[in-house]
Amino acid sequence: MHTGHYISGAGHLALIGWLVFGDVFAAEPLPFEATAVSVISGAEYAAMVAAGQAPQSTTEVAQPSSPEVTPDAPEIAATEDTVNDQSMPAPAETPSVEEAPDVTQIEPLPRAEVSDEAPVLPEPPADVAVLVPEVSDTPVPEAAERVAPEAVAQPDPEATPDPVEQEAVAPDEAGETPQEPAEATAPEAAATEIVTEAERPSAVPNTSARPPARRPDAPVQTAQPAETEEPDPPASETPAPEPEEDPVAAALAEALSGENTPSSAPSTPQGPPLTAGEKDTLRVAVQACWNVGSLSTDALNTTVVVSVAMSQDGKPVTSSIRMTSSSGGTEQAARQAFEAARRAIIRCGARGFELPVEKYSQWQDIEMTFNPERMRIK
Amino acid sequence: MRFLGMVLSGALAFGGLWAAAAQAQSEGPLRIEITEGVIEPLPFALPVFEAETGDAGGLAAQISQVVSADLSGTGLFREIPANAFISQVSSFAAPVQYADWKAINAQALITGAVSVQGNQLAVKFRLYDVFSGAEMGDGLQFTGTTEGWRRMAHKVADAVYSRITGEGGYFDSRVVYVSETGGKDARQKRLALMDYDGANVQYLTDSSAIVLAPRFSPSGDRVLYTSYETGFPRIYVLDVGSVQRRELESQEGTMSFAPRFAPDGQNIVFSLSQGGNTDIWAMNVGGGGATRLTSAPSIETAPSFSPDGSQIVFESDRSGSQQLYIMPAGGGEAQRISFGPGRYGTPVWSPRGDLIAFTKQNSGRFHIGVMRTDGSEERLLTASFLDEGPTWAPNGRVIMFTRETQGEGGRSSLYSVDISGRNLRPVRTPEGGSDPSWSPLLQ
Repeated sequence: MHTGHYISGAGHLALIGWLVFGDVFAAEPLPFEATAVSVISGAEYAAMVAAGQAPQSTTEVAQPSSPEVTPDAPEIAATEDTVNDQSMPAPAETPSVEEAPDVTQIEPLPRAEVSDEAPVLPEPPADVAVLVPEVSDTPVPEAAERVAPEAVAQPDPEATPDPVEQEAVAPDEAGETPQEPAEATAPEAAATEIVTEAERPSAVPNTSARPPARRPDAPVQTAQPAETEEPDPPASETPAPEPEEDPVAAALAEALSGENTPSSAPSTPQGPPLTAGEKDTLRVAVQACWNVGSLSTDALNTTVVVSVAMSQDGKPVTSSIRMTSSSGGTEQAARQAFEAARRAIIRCGARGFELPVEKYSQWQDIEMTFNPERMRIK
Repeated sequence: MRFLGMVLSGALAFGGLWAAAAQAQSEGPLRIEITEGVIEPLPFALPVFEAETGDAGGLAAQISQVVSADLSGTGLFREIPANAFISQVSSFAAPVQYADWKAINAQALITGAVSVQGNQLAVKFRLYDVFSGAEMGDGLQFTGTTEGWRRMAHKVADAVYSRITGEGGYFDSRVVYVSETGGKDARQKRLALMDYDGANVQYLTDSSAIVLAPRFSPSGDRVLYTSYETGFPRIYVLDVGSVQRRELESQEGTMSFAPRFAPDGQNIVFSLSQGGNTDIWAMNVGGGGATRLTSAPSIETAPSFSPDGSQIVFESDRSGSQQLYIMPAGGGEAQRISFGPGRYGTPVWSPRGDLIAFTKQNSGRFHIGVMRTDGSEERLLTASFLDEGPTWAPNGRVIMFTRETQGEGGRSSLYSVDISGRNLRPVRTPEGGSDPSWSPLLQ
């Protein structure tokens, strides 16, 4: 019955004991360093500061001689103003408003057997260096014409425009792992929204710059040239990172090589589901190619759901792309919206989306909803 | 104990349901939602059209050039230069090597052929969606005379534009405007007509009298304009085909200006200034029956009909500053729709009916802007020393307007801009130009 009392009493005793004898186990205070300080007067401080100041900069550098300017004004050839013909136009010259061209449909062509293999490109000519003046006449940078979810700076001029960014890869003879040469690619410059002329900062300055202060007279003596820091040597080109080989993925890829259709895949999803990050990677990849710039206003009000079957190398099976449903627009608008969505899937999936091959059963069928609501007032 | 049992059984049941739901969800396809895309010109390839007859080579090249310029000029498309092509289209009937066009990122491919027989010209084309590996619609052929080759090129471009965007085109259309020569203090003006892209300029009047504000009829066969031929502003209607003109009825001692056709093409609205007061009137273009639509002591002018003809938007300073108002087509109570800072004027209703374009003056600068018909979602598209007088393209996606530069030698010229504010570009005319009015698509 008094168990609680006993426990409480024991606890209180322990607390009192710790308060009384706790200091016995306290550690020694940490050692600290003491610095001697001396007090100086104001005059001594001023003298010390003055001694430490940098010498006044001298401007004894020989001034560059002014370029010779020829005061003669260039001759301007005087030409008489041409008088435009102001006579009344003859009625016979009026445009024929009139005969509308006949419009006839052409019989559709028979479908031809077309091979869809990528051709072997001829070797491009060597690059020619062109000196470009560093000073631009444009005072205000123009906004990028392309609008994308994230702003993209002006890419390397030598990089090929491509939604997927990659560095140039040159074959390294000494390397152990053979690499295929590849051109540098980078997405085109982009702004996050359309900037109209009215929203752009004006090129005309609002205030005029204050004139520079008068420079002191140059002394006679010649100053020592100031030491300038050596410019940093150009960073050596970093070798292209070797692709990390995932043994599981490699084994799966090897086992599944040659299978380009999802028919041999298990019919029900197995294994862990895709993580949010993996889904985001896919979403970002598709939206990089989803160009709504040429869509009509009606199509921009239409949401389409598109289903696509994927092959195990991450490429969409083009013939499987279907519009599952649409909402918000006419049938024609839905067709336009679907075509833009299909182009996005095919274009950005041409090299294969980055999807974990071990989770193939989770992404062998994908349903993408293209909702342009946020793209209407970009 | 009984309560504990109930809680445990409930939890088990809920867990079972959750597991079943998760299982059902995982059995379906992977679902993702795409809400962010890009806005950029769609790359297209347009190999020079094939000349099917020996003397069609020159026209084939010219037509290809006009089609390409039409599409590129919209800002929605970007032509891939011919030197990037991997394969050439040797024949209009030859199968398309899609892989070659995919490799250069051409998303649309336009092929065509031109044949000439005597004075007759035939132009046919096909449009392909390269990445889908399919033709977009059937091939189409236009026939006409060799003199009308530009119109046929515009029609090809209109068809391509319409198939890709889903909207009507605007290339086979004309613009009537005021051609200007001379300095600001001695400017000579005359009416001129041109293709939408500045080609084929023809003059409709001489420069003996000042002319202002030409406006096309809904069918594009007539033009209303204001002339100072008598010393006072008077409204004239001009037949575009015959260049015959006729002065509309007017009252003595009044000034009539700013006319515009109603969508029926039979009635017009205009401003009439009498005794220092300017109001909006309506009348039949055939003559007679002028009725007064506004009667405020303020200045009401620049009326423009809605596409269905039921409403009129106009500018008025009845509130103390120049603002935009909407009233029923037969007159009546007007509702103010502009409330931003600055002054608003020259409103024009979009042919789609969804937007109103206007001129705005604020903080010493002029803007062309658009707003919803209730005044919401105002967007300024341009900014300069002087922008004014917007007119809509037939498809309601592009606006043309007048831009005048500053100073003694200031010059008026025509510009166009997409309603998104992109693709601001000058329209080339042989002389200065102002007051454009865009025709409907030609028949």
